[in-house]
Amino acid sequence: MASISIRNLVKRYGNFTVIPDLNLEIADHEFVVFVGPSGCGKSTLLRIIAGLEPITAGDLYIGDKRVNGVQAAQRDIAMVFQDYALYPHMRVYDNMSFALELRGTPKAEIDSRVKRAAALLHIEDYLDRKPKELSGGQRQRVAMGRAIVRNPKAFLFDEPLSNLDAKLRGQVRAEIKALAQELKTTMVFVTHDQIEAMTMADRIVVLQSGMVQQYDTPETVYERPANQFVAGFIGSPAMNFFRVAWREDRVVLSEVGTAVPLDGEGTNRLRQAGEGLLGIRPEHFAVVPDSADGIEIGVKLVEPLGSDTLIHFDLAGASAIARIDPSLRPKVGDRLSLRPQSGKSHLFDSRNGQVLR
Amino acid sequence: MMDAPTTDRWIRRLNLLQLVLAGIIIMTPTVWMVLSSFKPSFEVTAYPPTLIFTPTMENYIELTKTTPFVSYAINSLIVTVGSTGLGLLFGIPAAFAVSWTRISWPAILTLAARMAPGTLFLLPWYVMFRQIGMIGSYTALILSHAVITLPIVIWVLLPSFDSIPRSVFEAAQVDGCSVTRVLWRIALPLVASGVAIAAILAFVFSWNYFLFALVLSNGDTKTLIAAAFNFIGEGSTQWGALMAAATLIALPPLILAALVQRWLVSGLTLGAVKG
Repeated sequence: MASISIRNLVKRYGNFTVIPDLNLEIADHEFVVFVGPSGCGKSTLLRIIAGLEPITAGDLYIGDKRVNGVQAAQRDIAMVFQDYALYPHMRVYDNMSFALELRGTPKAEIDSRVKRAAALLHIEDYLDRKPKELSGGQRQRVAMGRAIVRNPKAFLFDEPLSNLDAKLRGQVRAEIKALAQELKTTMVFVTHDQIEAMTMADRIVVLQSGMVQQYDTPETVYERPANQFVAGFIGSPAMNFFRVAWREDRVVLSEVGTAVPLDGEGTNRLRQAGEGLLGIRPEHFAVVPDSADGIEIGVKLVEPLGSDTLIHFDLAGASAIARIDPSLRPKVGDRLSLRPQSGKSHLFDSRNGQVLR
Repeated sequence: MMDAPTTDRWIRRLNLLQLVLAGIIIMTPTVWMVLSSFKPSFEVTAYPPTLIFTPTMENYIELTKTTPFVSYAINSLIVTVGSTGLGLLFGIPAAFAVSWTRISWPAILTLAARMAPGTLFLLPWYVMFRQIGMIGSYTALILSHAVITLPIVIWVLLPSFDSIPRSVFEAAQVDGCSVTRVLWRIALPLVASGVAIAAILAFVFSWNYFLFALVLSNGDTKTLIAAAFNFIGEGSTQWGALMAAATLIALPPLILAALVQRWLVSGLTLGAVKG
């Protein structure tokens, strides 16, 4: 078990810079999730930690040891791959025992560790099977088992749930989280799925173009996004954005001049800036009976989800979504008055996307 | 216009006809050679060729009486097994390295060496081996035949190594394997059938190769195929013995190919489709 420290890390492929200058501290026992869109550098960063990609510049420490030039084999890191990467010619037992055997672990200990991991992951019955005789979910468990038996300094997961169907994904997600709590080991998990990030992480690293946009707890990333990118990336459906301006001592929608009933810390900064972007999450709209208290919208599309209902509407030149109580049973064409919930709106600088606080 | 089933039927018939024609073209000389080896010597060159005759072993008896046939066969075996072994020893790591690094020029270089005419190598080799006193040695023959076996091994194994997902190798590295260990413990068992195919093809091509042995061997190390050339004399070619020798020379590759034909076809397309 160890902390991971990344200092001024640069990664280039020829002239193409994937990671320009990255600093990150992952504490011992912490479960950190790297999240971001395709091509943001999250998998590259994970592979750098694993020792599968060389570093162009900067330093990487695992525990107290600088590991820049250390081969993957010597880093004592376990990794679960997106396609599981099991050894096709070996039985499940051999897949799990392989790393221990390479380290010269006594046979009796290998046996007990493999069986303990197999019991933990409920794969005891498959130990004699080859990977091709297993389902996707079972293979996923074997891949985790292969990592667990080693008792490594850190676990790395490279989008390990993306090949599973939705139901199984939810189940394995919960299992990995339970496992993390039981093993108490440093874990780094890469995903493009912000729900996986939110549900599993102690802290989330939101990446874009190889740069850390925000590194904080899931609650903070959701409630206090550092910028427009994080605000738009975390949350499903995504946050709605509207251009707003400060006119006559109040916040108005730039396009239509409608006043937005708004309070909060960003309004003072908006007053100084003159204009900005207002971000409101779909779940942070309240339906109010009186149009004087809110903003009137026309329902364009209705998506009933059972637990709640999503309504799509146009406002001030932007398409937007609100998540409302399903008992209201809205229909296409209905007029509703929406009001941003108090203290739940976000204001961003329209020039650089940084939050106005 | 023909309807679809009729068109399909015609396509099947034409395919069959094509196969039969190809079979006749390929098999006729072989059948003629085998039949001739069992004919009395005066009937071998008879025109028109006789199809009904009393089979005799006289050509085979003549062959073993007049030539050290078994010694030649042993020479062939030593050179072929040696060069196949050498090809595998260097070709397996070479193919793996090319697949691993994705640097393909060394593989292309070996292919170019294979495509170049043998005479290109022969003269410098002759001079070189003579100077170091190796003309007529098994070593010289085995080394020269490695030019045939090495490219075969590399090019048969390359798609096999390429077809293994990269992440499997990376998982082995993370598990604690050095690159060499990745090759021996992970990659090699996964391409075992490819190795067998490469070995068989290398064996067959080396066994059948004639030119290097003709020049670089001596009386003690002459291979079967080079020795058979001696039957063709000025004005007095021993056609019967030559046919018997050719039949015996063709036997090992034919037996090998027949034994593993299903495997051979699947092995040659190995790596074309990811499993």
